Amino acid sequence: MAKKEKKDVARANYPKLYTSDPLAALDADTREKVCELENYIMKNCLWQFNSRGWDRRKQNAGILGMTAGLLIGEDVEISTAIDKCYWVDAVLLARNFTARCAWLGEMGAEEIRAIMAALHARIDWLTIDGSLNEELTVQNY
Amino acid sequence: MPYHEFEVSKCIPERKLHAVVKGAGEDLTSCLPKGYLNTIPGSISERGCAYCGAKHVIGTPMKDVIHLSHGPVGCTYDTWQTKRYISDNNNFQLKYTFASDVKEKHIVFGAEKLLKQNILEAFDAFPDIKRMTIYQTCATALIGDDMAAIAEEVMAERPEVDIFVCNSPGFGGPSQSGGHHKINIAWLNQKVGTVEPEITSDYVINYVGEYNIQGDQEVMLDYFKRMGIQVLSTFTGNGTYDSLRGMHRAHLNVLECARSAEYICDELRARYGIPRLDIDGFGHKALGDSLRKIGLFFGIEERAEAIIAEETARWKPELDWYKERLQGKRVCLWPGGSKLWHWAHAIQEEMGVKVVSVYTKFGHQGDMEKGVSRCGEGALAIDDPNELEGQEALRTLKPDVIFTGKRPGEVAKKMRVPYLNAHAYHNGPYKGFEGWVRFARDIYNAVYSPMHQLSAIDISKDDYDTGRGFVTRRMLSDAGLCEETKASPLTGYTGKFDPIPDLRRKTDYPVFERRVAAAE
Repeated sequence: MAKKEKKDVARANYPKLYTSDPLAALDADTREKVCELENYIMKNCLWQFNSRGWDRRKQNAGILGMTAGLLIGEDVEISTAIDKCYWVDAVLLARNFTARCAWLGEMGAEEIRAIMAALHARIDWLTIDGSLNEELTVQNY
Repeated sequence: MPYHEFEVSKCIPERKLHAVVKGAGEDLTSCLPKGYLNTIPGSISERGCAYCGAKHVIGTPMKDVIHLSHGPVGCTYDTWQTKRYISDNNNFQLKYTFASDVKEKHIVFGAEKLLKQNILEAFDAFPDIKRMTIYQTCATALIGDDMAAIAEEVMAERPEVDIFVCNSPGFGGPSQSGGHHKINIAWLNQKVGTVEPEITSDYVINYVGEYNIQGDQEVMLDYFKRMGIQVLSTFTGNGTYDSLRGMHRAHLNVLECARSAEYICDELRARYGIPRLDIDGFGHKALGDSLRKIGLFFGIEERAEAIIAEETARWKPELDWYKERLQGKRVCLWPGGSKLWHWAHAIQEEMGVKVVSVYTKFGHQGDMEKGVSRCGEGALAIDDPNELEGQEALRTLKPDVIFTGKRPGEVAKKMRVPYLNAHAYHNGPYKGFEGWVRFARDIYNAVYSPMHQLSAIDISKDDYDTGRGFVTRRMLSDAGLCEETKASPLTGYTGKFDPIPDLRRKTDYPVFERRVAAAE
């Protein structure tokens, strides 16, 4: 029979990171760039929409964190099969971003890191902290 | 919040929270309907029940199984044969359906003996079949029949058989989605880990949330085999009972329909550490990226790229032929659950149509998050619509075609809106590079077929031009095209009427040397 583990009910009580749209405080040019990246994700990707908030937090951090690393040319650490899943989505994302957003090629590492951090915050806001989805905190899968 | 109130539902004010129009600048923090809630009394829902969601959607596509409903015969009859999840074993699971045929006297005196008798009779009638699923229904759940105890008795008496018990009566959730959830978890708890599969490749996946509608699974399996990937099990289309007992040995769960099968993927990740990779088998770009991701995961991306290059070269020109002719056609994308997001962006990008509305009968807010994100501004998103709302939306939005189920589809046809079956397809498969062209072909024919225009004429009343003969493609879809496009020698779909028999005969798959010599 399948292994049964004690359910981690605490996982549904993940803390909120944002109470308002994190893009609001940024300048218009940055907002425009982040929106371009966000639009690609929302139209083409599925990883940001796992059904529970705690999974979304991990997915967003794992994939967008690795995407930032790949765009900068850093080595990305893959230690588990789940990391590898983040990595494949990150590779595809980095390729599509690079192909679509020529302005990324003109940015330095710090600028890319900053824009990806803003994107990460925005995706967290849209899919977790500002989400209207009432099932994100259901304790069961 | 941009809620939309239907005129016909003003007498049910709670319905207002279940429809939104995506306006300029709206995002998911301001534009999302309620979802997966009990249907509001007074609203005649188009949903199915939790028993249907468990048995008809997920359980029954398993092909080498006697699927027996413990309840009135109507429950099994109404979930029989209406969805074309074919199989390569002569469609055993489609041809036969079984019920314990519970009647009033059994409600009074109990139906457990009747169930056991039916189980034994069914195994005796089909001696080659040694696997069975039993589905609870409302009536037998309410009288408290212990199906699991009966199944244990039979398995003790006949050690060669194995029985899965699905306890998902019709009232077990707001919609069929409640049944999806229950059967996912029940299968994992009861059956996964009870068979050790033979591992024949370095790259092993479960293909999850795929139901082989008109051969979708067989199209995708062809790609996986060409990449040297072993598909340990398919949950559940064209899948076998015992292969699904060995799901715990896969290296990766490739998830197609997250609405119906994410639960088992999430639990396989939590219990066995198998990662979940969501993919889209619909649309050339989405499918290409999906194959790339699987290839990347296993370090065999070049095999995926070879398939993508070959298939794109073969089918993309034909897809583009339809795209030229479908520009701006207005679509109501009204499926059950996952196709609203699988299709919404891909049909706009690759076929040129405009999605003016999405709806879901049984989806959750998570499905609407994906669907609303993938639509453009002005799209009307509706959760759990009733028939009158559907009619009002069709009158208001004036779509050129609607993709939905057969019940609302018939209503749409009466309103002179061409309809394509989003659940069981018209002339599928629709997955795969070729399948996507078949879908475009069906949309084209739905939009332009003279049959639909002729059907709008009431010959008992209307005057019509009796001198007008059959109209051609050049008059219907090509009149507004530029001369260069008109002169192009390209045509629409040139594939076979049914591509699946060739796939079933195909044996010349590449053999790749294994990195790991010994099977795990």
